[in-house]
Amino acid sequence: MASKQKNMTPQQQKYQQLQQKHELKRPVLKNCIKAFWVGGLICVVGQAISYFYIYFFHFTEQNVGNPTVATMVFLSMLLTGFGVYDRLGQFAGAGSAVPVTGFGNAVISAAIEHRTEGFVLGVGGNMFKLAGSVILFGVFSAFVVALIKTLLGMWGVL
Amino acid sequence: MVYIIRLMVIASMILMSSCNQVQTERDSQMALMKTTNPNPIVTEKNNGQDKVEDIEKKVSGFNEIYDVAVVKGKEATLVVYKVKHMQRFNMKKIEKDLNKTLEENYPKENFTVSSDYKIFLEAVRLIEKKKDGSYSDKQADKRLNEILKMTSDMK
Repeated sequence: MASKQKNMTPQQQKYQQLQQKHELKRPVLKNCIKAFWVGGLICVVGQAISYFYIYFFHFTEQNVGNPTVATMVFLSMLLTGFGVYDRLGQFAGAGSAVPVTGFGNAVISAAIEHRTEGFVLGVGGNMFKLAGSVILFGVFSAFVVALIKTLLGMWGVL
Repeated sequence: MVYIIRLMVIASMILMSSCNQVQTERDSQMALMKTTNPNPIVTEKNNGQDKVEDIEKKVSGFNEIYDVAVVKGKEATLVVYKVKHMQRFNMKKIEKDLNKTLEENYPKENFTVSSDYKIFLEAVRLIEKKKDGSYSDKQADKRLNEILKMTSDMK
């Protein structure tokens, strides 16, 4: 950074200082609070859905996560299609991206974005552009954790 | 943003109106959210009611546990409980301790212990149906066996 500044002309340095002076400060705390509340609300909805499945269907606490996640992803996909989730994303930032609903949003928004390039090369080829890495790392980390658990189980630690 | 607020208001109105229907509230309707502590039952009349009450007292004595339902059938006894939120990290230890206590105190009984919400809900529903007479002894025992099968499927 210091060497970069050294290479700058006095005019550039002056401009840099001016830019730093007028640069808007990011409202980090405000963003965190927004993300916390919206993310929490999404989780409350998820909890309500899982209770719904426990009450009205034959799902136990152990396996109720599967239909709940599927429902949440489906709902976020619908909301993305209607343009609601984008607004929510603009407002809440990570609060709407970190829960599993963010996954549905990533898939559908990429599909909508590349729709003009055709169904195969556009939608099919780009749908998992962002979500693909999520799936890859998710599956891989699950494999590693399962491997560690199996080994610990074999050695009698767990 | 306006759409989201409208959506949330409509959803909460629907939720509130659905909760406000005139009907007698049963314990099982809120069993997952509040403490119910239903009275323990035996599926067969005059077959160890004192014993199940004693079991319930012993299980309730655990500090980590706050809600207990006990159903005694012909062959097995179902003990379902809810664990205090901050103690949920020690679920396995609590289950182990509970099993040990029950086996020490009632060596002849065949216990099935679970902390699953679904099992708890089904146990409360069974107790309610048995109490209001919707289930005969035979039906209650059959339902208990179905619940026990559900717990064994989870393992």
